[in-house]
Amino acid sequence: MSDLSFLGRLFRRRRAWTALAYLLLALTWSAAIALLALSGWFITAAGLAGAGLLLGLELFTPSAGIRAAALLRTLARYGERVVGHEAVLRVLADLRSASFTAIARLPLEAQRRMRSGDLQQRLIADIDTLDGVPLRITGPLAAAALAVLGAAGLAGWLAPWPAPLLIGGAAGLTLVASALAARFGQSRSRALVERRSRERVALLDYFGGLADLLAYRRTEPYREDLERREREQAGAVLLQERVALSADQAVQALVALSALAMLALALGWHEAGRVSAPVAVLLALMTLGLNEALSSLPGALWRSGESLQAASRLRRLGVAPTEAGGPPVQPSRPSGDLPADATFKVEELAVGFAEDPPLAAGLVFGLEIGQPLVIHGASGRGKTTLLETLAGERLPLRGSVILAGRRLEEWPEAVRYRAIGYLPQQTTLLDDTVATNLGLGLPELPDHRLWEVLETVELAAALRREGSGLAYRTGERGRRLSGGQARRLALARLLLREPPVVLLDEPFAGLDAPLERRILERISPWLQGRRVVLVTHAPDRLPADWTRLAIAPGGQ
Amino acid sequence: MHGANMNPSADPGDGTSTASEAHPRAFLRTLLQPHRRWLHLAWLAGAGAGLATVALAAAVAWSIHLALFGQGTAPAWPWLGAAVLAVLLRHGLQALRDWSGQQLAFAVRADLRQKLIATASRLGPVHLAHRGHSGSWASRYQEQVDALAGYYARYLPALGLTLAVPGLLLAAAFSQDWVAGLLLLLSAPLIPVFMALIGMGSEQIHQAQQERQNRLAGHFLDRIRALDLLRRSLALEAARQDVAEAADDYRRLSMRVLRVAFLSSAVMEFFSAVAIGLVAIYVGFALLGFLEFGPAGELTLFSGLFVLLLAPEYFQPLRQFAQSYHDRAGAIAVGAELAPLLQPPTVTGHPAALRAASGPTLLRLHNVTVRYEPDMQPALSGVELDIARGEQTAVVGPSGSGKSTLLALCAGFVQADSGSVAIATDARPFAWIGQRVHLFHGSLRENLLLGAPEHTPDPELGAAMATAGLRLDDPTLPHGLDTPIGEDSRGLSGGQAQRVAFARALLSGSRLWLLDEPTSALDPQTEDDLLTRLLAHARARDITVLVATHQESVYRRLGRIVRLAEGRLQEDSRV
Repeated sequence: MSDLSFLGRLFRRRRAWTALAYLLLALTWSAAIALLALSGWFITAAGLAGAGLLLGLELFTPSAGIRAAALLRTLARYGERVVGHEAVLRVLADLRSASFTAIARLPLEAQRRMRSGDLQQRLIADIDTLDGVPLRITGPLAAAALAVLGAAGLAGWLAPWPAPLLIGGAAGLTLVASALAARFGQSRSRALVERRSRERVALLDYFGGLADLLAYRRTEPYREDLERREREQAGAVLLQERVALSADQAVQALVALSALAMLALALGWHEAGRVSAPVAVLLALMTLGLNEALSSLPGALWRSGESLQAASRLRRLGVAPTEAGGPPVQPSRPSGDLPADATFKVEELAVGFAEDPPLAAGLVFGLEIGQPLVIHGASGRGKTTLLETLAGERLPLRGSVILAGRRLEEWPEAVRYRAIGYLPQQTTLLDDTVATNLGLGLPELPDHRLWEVLETVELAAALRREGSGLAYRTGERGRRLSGGQARRLALARLLLREPPVVLLDEPFAGLDAPLERRILERISPWLQGRRVVLVTHAPDRLPADWTRLAIAPGGQ
Repeated sequence: MHGANMNPSADPGDGTSTASEAHPRAFLRTLLQPHRRWLHLAWLAGAGAGLATVALAAAVAWSIHLALFGQGTAPAWPWLGAAVLAVLLRHGLQALRDWSGQQLAFAVRADLRQKLIATASRLGPVHLAHRGHSGSWASRYQEQVDALAGYYARYLPALGLTLAVPGLLLAAAFSQDWVAGLLLLLSAPLIPVFMALIGMGSEQIHQAQQERQNRLAGHFLDRIRALDLLRRSLALEAARQDVAEAADDYRRLSMRVLRVAFLSSAVMEFFSAVAIGLVAIYVGFALLGFLEFGPAGELTLFSGLFVLLLAPEYFQPLRQFAQSYHDRAGAIAVGAELAPLLQPPTVTGHPAALRAASGPTLLRLHNVTVRYEPDMQPALSGVELDIARGEQTAVVGPSGSGKSTLLALCAGFVQADSGSVAIATDARPFAWIGQRVHLFHGSLRENLLLGAPEHTPDPELGAAMATAGLRLDDPTLPHGLDTPIGEDSRGLSGGQAQRVAFARALLSGSRLWLLDEPTSALDPQTEDDLLTRLLAHARARDITVLVATHQESVYRRLGRIVRLAEGRLQEDSRV
């Protein structure tokens, strides 16, 4: 499937809306052309009649036509705006839902790449580029084609063959000029995007590393580097802008010159008696009126390249354009039930990024109910990597993780996630209410259950004081909470589940010692009832009778 | 920690800056000032294009008039030739107008970017952090500055031409027939009135639902960010439905605003269509001799066609102005954000004198007070401190007691509002290790060389790394000195980054080390090891060390303890 047919299929679902928008746009332009052409015809005819050169001019039809064209132009313009945006926003909704489905279906490693903020931003930008296609690209092209066809047809009916040929030729030349300009613009835009993201890295280094740069007196070279990047970037963008604006003016000049050529031809035909004088003026003004339709082409083609690139990126992501609902992306109920006793052990486990050398190897241990395992060790020794492997987020380099007698990766996804409750080091919250964040993926829970866990992590009082309670919104990336509050909310979410195996990565990060002690005391009974691994860099804050496991280079 | 006196969400410009430059419109004007000749050129070119338009309309109307009524006395061709010239002139000048606009926009943006970079280094890291994290500074530099383009490239040129060109065309129309001119004149002023009314209406709806609309717009990105969480919570399927619903809600809300907002383009369309129609009908009936009043009797076909051809052009500048009007709103929003950021930090009273220290003293603070906001508690007040060469001093105290500010003051990152600061010449350059270490994009080697002489050999780099407690053959550094370091120190853990920063400090040969919670990301074992080696290294070379910390395990190793509480010096003891 090519990028073009991808686009075609993408918009097919909304073809009624988009087709209506195109028609309305064509109608707007046709009404504008008709208004000008008819007015010219009427004035010329009146001038001739006033001088006694034309007899029996009927007045009602042209003046009614002029009034109708004026009104139609207004109504069609408004309709085109509304319908066009309705179409765009519907396509946007389709795209978001299809992209999400596609991403949710990706294999785990591919999904993990979506953690990069850069990729996320590009996805959003691509979707925003594509949703504008009907309004800014295909719309003008289709409507301009309709308007040109109408004008050429009328010209063919009123005048000899060179008239429609001239109109067609003007449209063809416009298309070629626009395509050439667009090609030139697109050949550079990819390099521009790359250069821009490199510039961003340099900026993050400058602003983020300013203390070091000032300390070591290295601001000047970095500043010069940024200025050089800016000059290069600006030069390239300016060149693009110049090509774009020249193409705009060239197309407008082309249409105006075509109108003059039409006038010259028509006046010649008039002298030869082949067309009447009012029709000669009408032909010239009609050609001039095409300006509005044709001058939208350079911009439309300019954007088409960007859209094709965006389409190809989305296509590579696996977005299927016709996806409306489709089968579920993830089973929410386990297909096979979890055995009542979810034993958990690791055998000769090696974890890390590369086989040689692994971060830790030769790990052997089992988890027992009521005996939490505390993993500690120097930073950078792979505590977090180990926990990710235990949670099934990462494959072991060697050896195996065994859940209830079977290797972890052999269990269906839903069973695995139900059996293992994992609190990663990085806190993630949805930009939604506290209640939604707590109950994520769980069947409806009564409010008092939610309040209970909020009491446990000492968030309840603050939420009650604030007023909106469970409906309090956590904000984008949990910004309406402090780091410690967000951490506690994530912990509370885990407490609502009943996983037989619990993996906690620095669960109390960002909390002061007394608060940590109080929360630990409260959740102890909950922890005692399951198999627990807890990663920490401060093992001395945890009960002394819990098993300790120190990770050292190459082993335990 | 800066914590208590550095609230990142506090609006930095809030009511503190009264300088007129901080006002967004004044700010935009100031940026324009050095490059206004481009704007003048754009205006001239636009006005010239207006004249060419009048000439074009006249040439076309006259050639038609001649062809129909000339009776062969004068040929129409020369006038058509003149029309061709007018077309070329008109579009050439319009290209010049747009070109100058772009030139202006680029010049202003380049200036502003330079200003942002210069302001950042003048402010220093502490004040910079007050005004947003590095990611938001990068967005300001890239996206926000770019958002000004439309204002300078389109809005300002259109603003000057929106009265001049229609005025010119109007004068041309009046010269032929004042009734036709009057018809055009009367239709134009109604457009802005109606547009303003509609604009206010849509603004009202927009404000009422803006928060919800923004949230729905960001919903998709939010769920993509939370993908891991959704998968683990078995909530992907529910989230998929959520995304579809949010996108649909977003559409409904947006359309509610757009339906009203689009009325303004309909108004524009309506008045220009009606004006053309009225002119055509008036001219037609006048030519027929049906109208006896005013100038109608003397109207010729030339005048009629001339005015008709001018009518659509008459509305063109207004249309361009309306299209670029949202550029203005965007630019003012950017100006409102950037203007206060580029202001110097607020200094109350007289800034402290900065002198060179002499004798055994490396740093001397005398009665120093630092305030971040005029109406806030000072971060430091009346601090008296003498640091001798080679001394190893711990600055201790609870969060918000002013430890970091004291270090930043010694680094020169913040200025004292009163008192005096004396710094010896050999206290520059210095080594700085902050709470969050920044590693630069590139290789490990490039990072180590930041403060070191240019051609430091690899073995020396390796030795410094080993002293800092991270050997180059460590399994987490598979490529040794060539280990790539990504954005946000990707590839290294927080503790490793801190050790790289230490190695960097060792290699720089600095005589002063300023360390702000330098071991916060290290486990006790590594911390103990590292501090032992580093302090021995410093002692052997007579390096002055100043460490801000709240950990006893750190400060009990140092010879002198300076205790701060609420910005005041509480205790200064030598062990």
